[in-house]
Amino acid sequence: MAYAYLFKYIIIGDTGVGKSCLLLQFTDKRFQPVHDLTIGVEFGARMITIDGKQIKLQIWDTAGQESFRSITRSYYRGAAGALLVYDITRRDTFNHLTTWLEDARQHSNSNMVIMLIGNKSDLESRREVKKEEGEAFAREHGLIFMETSAKTASNVEEAFINTAKEIYEKIQEGVFDINNEANGIKIGPQHAATNSTMGGSQGGQQPGGGCC
Amino acid sequence: MNYIFGVIGGQSAGPQPTGAETVQKLCDRVASSTLLEDRRDAVRALKSLSKKYRFEVGTKAMEHLLHILRTDSSDTEILGYALDTLYNIVCNDEEEEPEENHPKQEDDMGVQFTDKFIQEPDNVTLLLTLLEEFDFHVRWPGVKLLTALLKNQCAQAQGIILVSPMGVSRLMDLLADSREVIRNDGLLLLQQLTKGNAAIQKIVAFENAFERLLDIITEEGSSDGGIVVEDCLLLLLNLLKNNSSNQNFFKEGSYIQRMKPWFEVGDDNSGWSAQKVTNLHLMLQLVRVMVSPVNSPGGTSSCQKAMFQCGLLQQLCTILMATGVPADILTETINTVSEVIRGSDVNQDYFASVNAPSNPPRPAIVVLLMSMVNERQPFVLRCAVLYCFQCFLYKNHKGQGEIVSTLLPSTIDANSISAGQLLCGGLFSSDSLSNWCAAVALAHALQDNLTQKEQLLRVQLATSLGKPPVSLLQQCTNILSQGDKLNRRGSRVQTKVGLLMLLCTWICNCPIAVMHFLHNQDNVPFLTGQISENLGEDERLVQGLCALLLGICIYYNDNSLENYTKEKLKQLIEKRIGKENFVEKLGFVTKHELYSRAAQKPQPAFSAPEHMLFDHEFTKLVKELEGVITKAVLKSSEEEKKEEEVKKTIEQHDSIVTQYKELIREQDSQLKEMKEQMASLTLQNETLQNTTTQQLSQIQQHKDQYNILKLKLGKDNQQTASQVDGAHVNGLQLEELSQLREQLEDLHRENQSLQTQLAEKDNVITSLKAEGVPSAEGSTSENTEILRQVEKLKAQLQSQTAEITQLQTERQELIGRCETRATVPVTGEDSGYSEKIAELESRLSTQNTETQKLKEEVKALLEGKESMEKELASATSTVAILQAEKSKLQKEVQDSKKEQDELLMLLADQDQKILSLKKKLEELGETIDDEDDLDTKDQFDDEDDDDEEEDEEDDDE
Ligand SMILES: Nc1nc2c(ncn2[C@@H]2O[C@H](COP(=O)(O)OP(=O)(O)O)[C@@H](O)[C@H]2O)c(=O)[nH]1
Ligand SMILES: [Mg+2]
Repeated sequence: MAYAYLFKYIIIGDTGVGKSCLLLQFTDKRFQPVHDLTIGVEFGARMITIDGKQIKLQIWDTAGQESFRSITRSYYRGAAGALLVYDITRRDTFNHLTTWLEDARQHSNSNMVIMLIGNKSDLESRREVKKEEGEAFAREHGLIFMETSAKTASNVEEAFINTAKEIYEKIQEGVFDINNEANGIKIGPQHAATNSTMGGSQGGQQPGGGCC
Repeated sequence: MNYIFGVIGGQSAGPQPTGAETVQKLCDRVASSTLLEDRRDAVRALKSLSKKYRFEVGTKAMEHLLHILRTDSSDTEILGYALDTLYNIVCNDEEEEPEENHPKQEDDMGVQFTDKFIQEPDNVTLLLTLLEEFDFHVRWPGVKLLTALLKNQCAQAQGIILVSPMGVSRLMDLLADSREVIRNDGLLLLQQLTKGNAAIQKIVAFENAFERLLDIITEEGSSDGGIVVEDCLLLLLNLLKNNSSNQNFFKEGSYIQRMKPWFEVGDDNSGWSAQKVTNLHLMLQLVRVMVSPVNSPGGTSSCQKAMFQCGLLQQLCTILMATGVPADILTETINTVSEVIRGSDVNQDYFASVNAPSNPPRPAIVVLLMSMVNERQPFVLRCAVLYCFQCFLYKNHKGQGEIVSTLLPSTIDANSISAGQLLCGGLFSSDSLSNWCAAVALAHALQDNLTQKEQLLRVQLATSLGKPPVSLLQQCTNILSQGDKLNRRGSRVQTKVGLLMLLCTWICNCPIAVMHFLHNQDNVPFLTGQISENLGEDERLVQGLCALLLGICIYYNDNSLENYTKEKLKQLIEKRIGKENFVEKLGFVTKHELYSRAAQKPQPAFSAPEHMLFDHEFTKLVKELEGVITKAVLKSSEEEKKEEEVKKTIEQHDSIVTQYKELIREQDSQLKEMKEQMASLTLQNETLQNTTTQQLSQIQQHKDQYNILKLKLGKDNQQTASQVDGAHVNGLQLEELSQLREQLEDLHRENQSLQTQLAEKDNVITSLKAEGVPSAEGSTSENTEILRQVEKLKAQLQSQTAEITQLQTERQELIGRCETRATVPVTGEDSGYSEKIAELESRLSTQNTETQKLKEEVKALLEGKESMEKELASATSTVAILQAEKSKLQKEVQDSKKEQDELLMLLADQDQKILSLKKKLEELGETIDDEDDLDTKDQFDDEDDDDEEEDEEDDDE
């Protein structure tokens, strides 16, 4: 299907916080209470509309375990948005946010939009992290924040869409270099004609001495 | 630079230094020279020696070279020489080298030096950093070196690259290099890098590999392009094969649409170069990877849909019907079309509608089948057509019906060749391969389709003139029973196996077909004869299949033929063959060396025509039936009876449980209804109570007014003096009386409504009772609540009645007083007054009767309430009974739940055990093969192993 823009997202955070469930809820509109542990990375996609424009979201759901951290790092550079997820019923997942954020900031491009997500908001009775704490952390680190439930679908659409809105605004402001696909943004086929100055942006230097 | 000439020239006088000595000298120089130029020259010299004295350079110089890479990174020239030298040491497939050299030892050397290099992961990281150097002389050998390292020690090198920050991403940048050599060698590097490593494959895809590779393919002219296109396609295959995440990404990125133009090769093509054939072959494979039967069904079906929507399938069908297409491309195109339509009804329908551009136009299916039963066509092509036909019929009842219908008497079209005719021709031709293919094809038209199994029984064949026609079913057995007289090009066994598979599929799960088969008196003796005979090795499979066929005749027997009931057939086996012998023969089928191979995947792929024995779908059928048939035959009739009984009791038990479940469900819904009714009853009760309160207050008002009246009357009695005064008093009295009457009327009306409401309530309760009685906690309490309210109501009504009675007596008194008063004044002046009194009196008496009526009504009301109470009491007791029943049921349900839980625990335990066993196996050094390995594994692998694999594959489907 034709789209105006394509954004690449990654979903990061400790294992078990509900990353895969969030993706499944967003792409398939369903919740799977029991499912496999994500090994490595899984892909999902969906089309959304912002400002009357079709935007394709390509989302990579990563494995949260420590052993996969280095693999996850390979995805930061090419992503335009990241959903950083913790579990409101497990304080340790909130405590690890700083590490995740450092990792993300270090390996991503500086414009990557990060949405902080406190997931499992349906489990109010087991809450260990107050909403205000999430808000404070987000404010302190310049992130957008939302509490979601992959189970009830509450705020799930909003989380993905608001992240896209933020990216879209940055594009309008000219912050993002949309011609560099390495930023995780691609212009759709119908827009490409007006913006086609791809390639050629090779790393300078002399052409190098011919061929063998 | 004399020392170089000393080495290379080799002509100088004096004792020649050995290669080792020279290498050592150069190494010392590299290590000790302070001048960059000296070092550079020394490294260059090492490079020139690195092929001839590979071992020496490898063992002595590697450390020094690595040191140079670290310290002299500013000089691209020395870096280039060092990398070239390292490449020469590590690389095995140097084409310039003469072939006679011991290649085995060479390989070892490459791996050995690779191990040494990789031992220090930092070396690989260093190499990755050097690849960022744009200079051609550094980047190119760097790429080649890394490729060689990956070739020699793939998994290890991959592991290091995967964890080095941005490692994979950096290598992806090679595809954007403007220098073609580097881009092309970058492709080879990425091919090695992505081999068998899903994590790397995903990162490479994430880095826009699909887009870039598809762009390169287009730029290079698609299938007309050179080896670069081939390399791109190989890399794409690496990225997509067995990687569902990447397949999903490929599909979601709309890249399937970009494959369509690849296949626009047309009829007027400009020849078929070897490269073009290779390219197209890979392109077709790429399509197949996306719709492979081993993928998840959801993934495959969405890709199939996309391939139809973008016209890719249509394009492939054009190639199918085009002329001048090389045979192997045609074959692979048929295989590809097969998998694009397999199990997708839209695509299957489209395929059925494709016509060949012949005159007159013929359906593509017919044209293909003509090739299948044509001996002159290549074997692989005939296999491909069979696969295509199978995929067309897979989960396609409509297609199955269409094929079978071309054989039925009413629909046969004499003027054109039909699929059915071709299949029949193949079935009875003198070529065993045609026999087998046609039999399997026909079996697929019957797969899981009872209607068609029955329809096909109608087919009659005309044999020789003058003889009566014979049924298709019988003709198959007739051929089977020809024994040595059966004359076929190819193999007799192949023909028999094909026909037996068709018969088994046909009569399986179809008692009518079983009956048809048994009806012919010759068939059973033929089967028992085959099974009991001591035949040669090559006939064993035939024996096994005969046993299977006989087993199906028992298992799906509806006992409608007296001579061949289940029981009689079993006795026959016991007498003629022996149970154990029968089971052993039956086992020949799955124990056959080619069985597990066929069970692995749907495509009929055989290394040689004589290996064409098993059909994939048929292996599934055997797996399903072997166990049940063995059981059915081994069991004595008594055991069977017992089992039947047990089964019956279990069934009964089951049905009881289901009944109870249904009852509970029913009661549940009744309960809900009742609760609703209760609620409305409670509401009614409330309004009733309100009315009663109102009435009470009105009665109070009446009483008060009567009191006033009484008072006034008393006054009248005392002062009989003043007329005017009396008239005044009487006027007042009159007014009050009429008011009283009105109020009484109100009272009456209200009582009436009270009564109707009660009647309604009564109705509700009767309907409640009729609809079934509630059974749950809560209902009783609600009932008692109602009861209590009714009691209260009753009490209120009683007190009301008492009050009314009191009122009445008071009124009586009043009337009495009025009468006595009327007798007192006898004067003429008082006549008007007495008239008025009389009137009052009569009014009072009507009031009296009205009150009487009221009393009666109240009494009736009371009775109604009482009966209602009784009904409620009986309802409550029914509720109690039902509740007891329900709790019993609940306990039963709980028990069965507990049982289930225990089973689950058992299962979990077992899982745990399996896991630990697996772990132990792994600890013991056993590796658990993955699927890729299976494909390349020898087909005569250990039987047990293969059986397990086949399980896995079946799970996938
Ligand atoms: N109640 C509740 N459970 C959730 C929610 N999201 C995920 N889960 C559960 O949390 C567990 C881990 O979820 P998963 O998506 O696999 O986490 P991941 O490791 O971050 O991918 C699963 O058992 C889910 O059923 C949520 O919003 N509410
Ligand atoms: Mg997950």
